[in-house]
Amino acid sequence: MRKVLATAVAVAAAITLSACNAAGGAAGGNDQMNGLRIMVPNTPGGGYDITARTSAKTMEQAKLARAVEVFNLPGAGGTVGLGRLVNEKGNGKLAMQMGLGVVGSVYTNKAPSTLADTTPIARLVEESDIIVVSKDSQYTDIQQVVDDWKADPGSVPVGGGSSPGGPDHLAPMLVADAIGLKAKSVNYVPFDGGGELLASILGNKVAFGVSGVGEYLDQIEAGELRVLAVTGPERVEGIDAPTLKEAGIDVEFTNWRGVVAPPGISDADRKALVDVYTDMHGSKEWKDALARNGWDDAFLAGDEFGTFMKEQSDEVEKILKDLGLA
Amino acid sequence: MDVFGNLLEGFGTAITPTHLLFAAIGVLLGTAIGVLPGIGPAMAVALLLPVTYNIEPTGAFIMFAGIYYGGMFGGSTTSILLNTPGESASVVTAIEGHPMAKAGRGAQALAAAAIGNFTGAMAGTMLLVVLAPLVANLAVDIGAPDFLAVMLLAFIAVTSVLGKSRVRGFASLAIGLTLGLVGLDSMTGQQRLTFGSLHLSDGIDVVVVAVGLFAVGEALWVAAHLRRAAAKPIPVGRPWLSRQDIKRSWKPWLRGPVIGFPFGAVPAGGAEIPTFLSYVTEKRLSKHREEFDHGAIEGVAGPESTASASAAGTLTSMLTLGLPTTATAAVMLAAFQQHGIQPGPLLFQRESDLVWTLIASLFIGTILLLVLNLPLAPMWAKLLRIPRAYLYAGILFFASIGAYAVSGSVLDLVVLLVIGVIGFMMRRFGLPILPAIIGVILGPNAEQQMRRAMQISDGDLAGLVNTTFSVVVYGIIVLILLWPVLRKLVGRRGARPDGHDPAELEKETVDA
Amino acid sequence: MRTARRSESSAPRTARTATGWLKAHSELALVAFLAGLGALVMVDALTMAADFTQRGPVGPKTVPLLVGGLLVIIALVLAVDVLRGGKGESESGEDIDLSTQAEWRTVLLLAAAFCSNIVLIDLVGFPISGAILFWGSAYALGSRHWVRDPLISIVLAVVTYLMFVYVLGVPLPGGPLAGVS
Repeated sequence: MRKVLATAVAVAAAITLSACNAAGGAAGGNDQMNGLRIMVPNTPGGGYDITARTSAKTMEQAKLARAVEVFNLPGAGGTVGLGRLVNEKGNGKLAMQMGLGVVGSVYTNKAPSTLADTTPIARLVEESDIIVVSKDSQYTDIQQVVDDWKADPGSVPVGGGSSPGGPDHLAPMLVADAIGLKAKSVNYVPFDGGGELLASILGNKVAFGVSGVGEYLDQIEAGELRVLAVTGPERVEGIDAPTLKEAGIDVEFTNWRGVVAPPGISDADRKALVDVYTDMHGSKEWKDALARNGWDDAFLAGDEFGTFMKEQSDEVEKILKDLGLA
Repeated sequence: MDVFGNLLEGFGTAITPTHLLFAAIGVLLGTAIGVLPGIGPAMAVALLLPVTYNIEPTGAFIMFAGIYYGGMFGGSTTSILLNTPGESASVVTAIEGHPMAKAGRGAQALAAAAIGNFTGAMAGTMLLVVLAPLVANLAVDIGAPDFLAVMLLAFIAVTSVLGKSRVRGFASLAIGLTLGLVGLDSMTGQQRLTFGSLHLSDGIDVVVVAVGLFAVGEALWVAAHLRRAAAKPIPVGRPWLSRQDIKRSWKPWLRGPVIGFPFGAVPAGGAEIPTFLSYVTEKRLSKHREEFDHGAIEGVAGPESTASASAAGTLTSMLTLGLPTTATAAVMLAAFQQHGIQPGPLLFQRESDLVWTLIASLFIGTILLLVLNLPLAPMWAKLLRIPRAYLYAGILFFASIGAYAVSGSVLDLVVLLVIGVIGFMMRRFGLPILPAIIGVILGPNAEQQMRRAMQISDGDLAGLVNTTFSVVVYGIIVLILLWPVLRKLVGRRGARPDGHDPAELEKETVDA
Repeated sequence: MRTARRSESSAPRTARTATGWLKAHSELALVAFLAGLGALVMVDALTMAADFTQRGPVGPKTVPLLVGGLLVIIALVLAVDVLRGGKGESESGEDIDLSTQAEWRTVLLLAAAFCSNIVLIDLVGFPISGAILFWGSAYALGSRHWVRDPLISIVLAVVTYLMFVYVLGVPLPGGPLAGVS
């Protein structure tokens, strides 16, 4: 048994070492950010995790920083990680990957620390949500959905891949609000992640589903799913569907991901963090990564990101208050 | 059918030295990760993901699939040896596997698990090849009312593991259901039994409950009644399966895929429920029912085969539909996207080479795993010859790492201790452990599916029975419940059920 | 197979004194635990804010109330069973000698070892707290090798730590020794 374990360890060590070497190879640039640690407040493999690991790798490839470490501290929709970040007051070598989901979790979990306690660094990417049905659904355009929905909200179950307070929950709530439906009358059915939701949409278990645009690209292309509308400000390339605004519904909604730092860090630290993300955003490697992952660039740095986060937070709070969730 | 032509081509690509090497690395890593506490295959794939950016995708996915299958093989090892399941798929294995190890039949338990995993993975992968399109349709048609019906069926099956005293069995089940309630309500986001703690709002992981009740509870209980005199080491026993062992195991091995594969393929299926159902089935069908709870080999062979087959089912849905039914599959999907491959219904057409190479390498990986794990069984089993004090200290040590590594939180250790104390109390007062585990697995799932079904039908109770599938399952449940009556009507007298006669209970005298 | 101990106990019948009665009916502690747990679950469910989005008859309170009720009913049935002389059989096993009295000292020592890891892991790091956990547990269970025990503990803890942190990339606290904040 020792032999096998030793072999496995050796293999793993070789892989880790090669990764470290690649990292160590990068030199120069802004040395101040060497040893930056990026916290991911949920499990490995999720959207935040991939964004953080891609950022770290890009910084190293673009020689902006060395030995950038990504670690996961999952729990309670990201608020466990948020609490830890706020506790690390003044730590200029720590950043947390976050996004709209964390904004909602702060309210639904009644978290003691909020995003207002953090130092905003940058918004990185955004993604439009889609309103989607199966190919043999009775609905062929968004107006039909709206009509049925208005007539009897209870009989139109809405499927989403996030728990109440998450992006897939907020999008239909905003639409309902825009067409004059009470938030409480919306029959929102939460599913665990994208898999169960996809099955429910394909099997016509829900009237329509709400999801990030990137998750179901292949099913859309294969004709298994029909997109009725995209929630963002612009149409999405390759998807034949209007924006909500074009369809006469006054809603613009995008899911976004960004980075925040602990409170009380020095101005120099803050500037260094904003700079390293700004430089990363300008690099060719990041452009490649955006294309590879199908992310939309939505870079917004420093205080502007702070203002944006405040607006988002207020909007989310209003919706959740109406639902009794905040 | 050109399926086999494709598969042959896949083998052609898979049996190149590089791809064989990746398969070997994958299964080795997977086995090691399965053995280590606290790290499941999902986490392993996620951690390795950045490393594979520079590898061509086929090699990367051969490795990931190897890790997934390897984790299924390796997961049984700590379950059997230390009573400390490393992941949810191997929780059930501990029930019979650990008593076997204690009785000096650790090598047999491990071998039965390895061969079980081999049969499950082989049969499952073959089903993947043959049934892929069919499964794709089935997975989509199964909805919340169907899941609920299957889970209620599973609850009925709990009665066969309640032990001698019904009320004590139900007490255990209720404790499990209570533990399952902890956390944010998945439908409305309400806090339940979290006492304001953020750490509890994700609920208590079934692995933490299993490790707490099995491992920590047992260590405390042993401490209270340590057999000081007879400190003889656990006998090594014979290294290989006897003819009798094989005779008892081959049917469970073959039944595993039948139960495991469909559950793996449907969303909300996973490995926990089918492994438990396999355990109950084997207990019912076994000719050695009296050996259950004390190390019956069927209780290892069946669930392990089921677990691996469910992994194959998961891959089927992932490859044909882009439908991740488990956490590991979700991470692998993310990995596909990272390599610029869009998973989903077009995958078979667009990346035909990759998919068939991957499937071929699953067969190869399974064989590698058997070759790797079978000789290891007697070696692992020798580990148990260490002194008792070290054995239990090691159990606590690894249980602690496992709980801590999951989220890096001390609170998980506190939760583990509290559950361990409950496990101690349950042993002291003669409550069986298994119903509590079942409660944790089934309770939250059943509640979620019931409420989801009710919500989709907008509160109409008919929403629970509006599918053919669910009606059929409820029919089976009614049949099972009425069976004793029916049997009386027919007038045949079979073996007495293992129910506890209350009159006997009364006669039992009190030990002061 | 666990055999029911149905034979008359040869122990003197002390059941007439109050403490003796309590000892004989120690399972009433379990009854109290179950009833208390049931009450807790129900109170928790009932104090949930009521104005939540709930569709249909089944909301977030329903299942907790059912489980809480089940706990209370089971507690009652069990109480009747215990008072009528029913008794759960303590679990037996290879390493368990049920003929002796419970050794609470050993249990407490073992729990203390476990707790020391909980308290110390974030303070002094896993290599030290893990070693204390292993050594303490082995000591509690009667191992008294003054050189071998600590040596094994330290090696096991350090090797595990290095493996998790450097090979698997899973962070465990290193404490002051590792120089990690």
